[in-house]
Amino acid sequence: MKRFYFLLVLLASLNSINSQEIDSDLIIIKQRMDSIKSYEAQIKLDVDISFINMPSKYGKVKYRQGESTKVTSQDFIMLPKRGLDLTLNELFQHPFITVDRGEDTHKGVNCKVINLIPTSSKSDFSIATIFMDTKAKRIVKSEISTKMEGVFTTSLDYNNIVDVLPTAIEVEFAVNSIKIPLRFLGKETEVDRKAIKEEGSKSGKIFLTLSEVQIAR
Amino acid sequence: MISLIRSEIYKISKQSKTLYALAAILIIEGFVIMSAYYQGAGIIDLLLDNLKDSFEFRGNLLNGNLIIYLILNSLWFHVPLILMIIISGFLTSEYKDKTIETVMLQPVNKLDFILSKYIVSIVFTLLIVLILAVSTFFISYWIFGYGDLVVYLDGLNFFKSDDAFYRLINAFLSGSITMIFFSVVSLTLAVILKDATKTWIVAAIFLICSNLLLKMDFNNDIVNELFFSKLTDSWQYFFYYEIPYSTIYFKNLLLLGYSIVVMIIGILIFKRRDIQ
Repeated sequence: MKRFYFLLVLLASLNSINSQEIDSDLIIIKQRMDSIKSYEAQIKLDVDISFINMPSKYGKVKYRQGESTKVTSQDFIMLPKRGLDLTLNELFQHPFITVDRGEDTHKGVNCKVINLIPTSSKSDFSIATIFMDTKAKRIVKSEISTKMEGVFTTSLDYNNIVDVLPTAIEVEFAVNSIKIPLRFLGKETEVDRKAIKEEGSKSGKIFLTLSEVQIAR
Repeated sequence: MISLIRSEIYKISKQSKTLYALAAILIIEGFVIMSAYYQGAGIIDLLLDNLKDSFEFRGNLLNGNLIIYLILNSLWFHVPLILMIIISGFLTSEYKDKTIETVMLQPVNKLDFILSKYIVSIVFTLLIVLILAVSTFFISYWIFGYGDLVVYLDGLNFFKSDDAFYRLINAFLSGSITMIFFSVVSLTLAVILKDATKTWIVAAIFLICSNLLLKMDFNNDIVNELFFSKLTDSWQYFFYYEIPYSTIYFKNLLLLGYSIVVMIIGILIFKRRDIQ
């Protein structure tokens, strides 16, 4: 009889592992984001990387449900590979499980923290940590460890408690210094390989400011 | 004096070497444009390679402004070398053909004669830089269009198209002062050496040494700031993200001072020396 109970408990626990659910708050946030059919906004981009000097760039960001976010500009612009996925479509592209990591604060906001662990090898990230403002039903911070492109930490600021889209996005990432300055691209052409090797990768930031946001639901 | 200047201009306009100088400038321009056309995209890719992991790029960096910047870099060596060869020839050819003796048999003041040579050399230099600049801007924008300029100078500097245009124009203006210096030096070398081949060799050596000394650290702030070779790169300072105007003005004024001193040395030597 004892063996039977043990077997029953074991099967029950195995079943719960296999059917591990996605965090309910994340689903609520995702559903809220899915209510956006499309949006358009003016975007300002500022780069903060020690070896790059670039003036503020301006463009337009467009999103339509089922399509990826598009940014257009008359200038040359550099967009972070992560951080513009405001509707979480990229994260939800392949199956994953979530693990509750408790609570933490971000910029004074009490957040629920979860880990997203992909269950498909097709996923381009290995793990993601999401800080959710469950009261406002939105994400305020994410740390996504990609398989190929390093770690991207995104911080999102909103104008008020009801806004669904952020007005300021800060994306932090690791970036390697320039290794091959070209002879004719400047007067300082010496390559200090030792210094570059010692420097390794640096963290860079890009600041995206959204304005004139127009959402269609 | 004015008639001497007119006569010098007439001589230059009739000499085939003037056309050779113009042809050489346009050939250099053509080579840079051709290499940029075929290899430019690869060069940009190589430069931005390290950023590709973190960024996606929108826009075209292989545009007219980058091509103009590449051609502008011929002010390091190619353009001054051509100018030094041609301008020294203004005087050495007179020694070789002995036309200077004929001129000196006329009631011509030696000071006016050599001064007119210097003045015409400076005008010729400015004309060549002007032709280079105008043709470069016209061809580059026509073929490659407008766009942001990227320059590697103390890191990667990106400039918006209108800002890049302003910097490139000013770089050509500033570079023309450097070219005047090299032209004046070559004419003074011609006064000293008289022989064309010797003058070309010494002028080329002077240019090479000047470029090498530019990068050399003399471990002395005064020498590093005041030595002539350290002043020939003022036009590059327009491509620092924050333009150091005071440094550019200082370098250009001092280089003009050097040019005047070199010119005075040439005039004094010419005046004191017998033509025979």
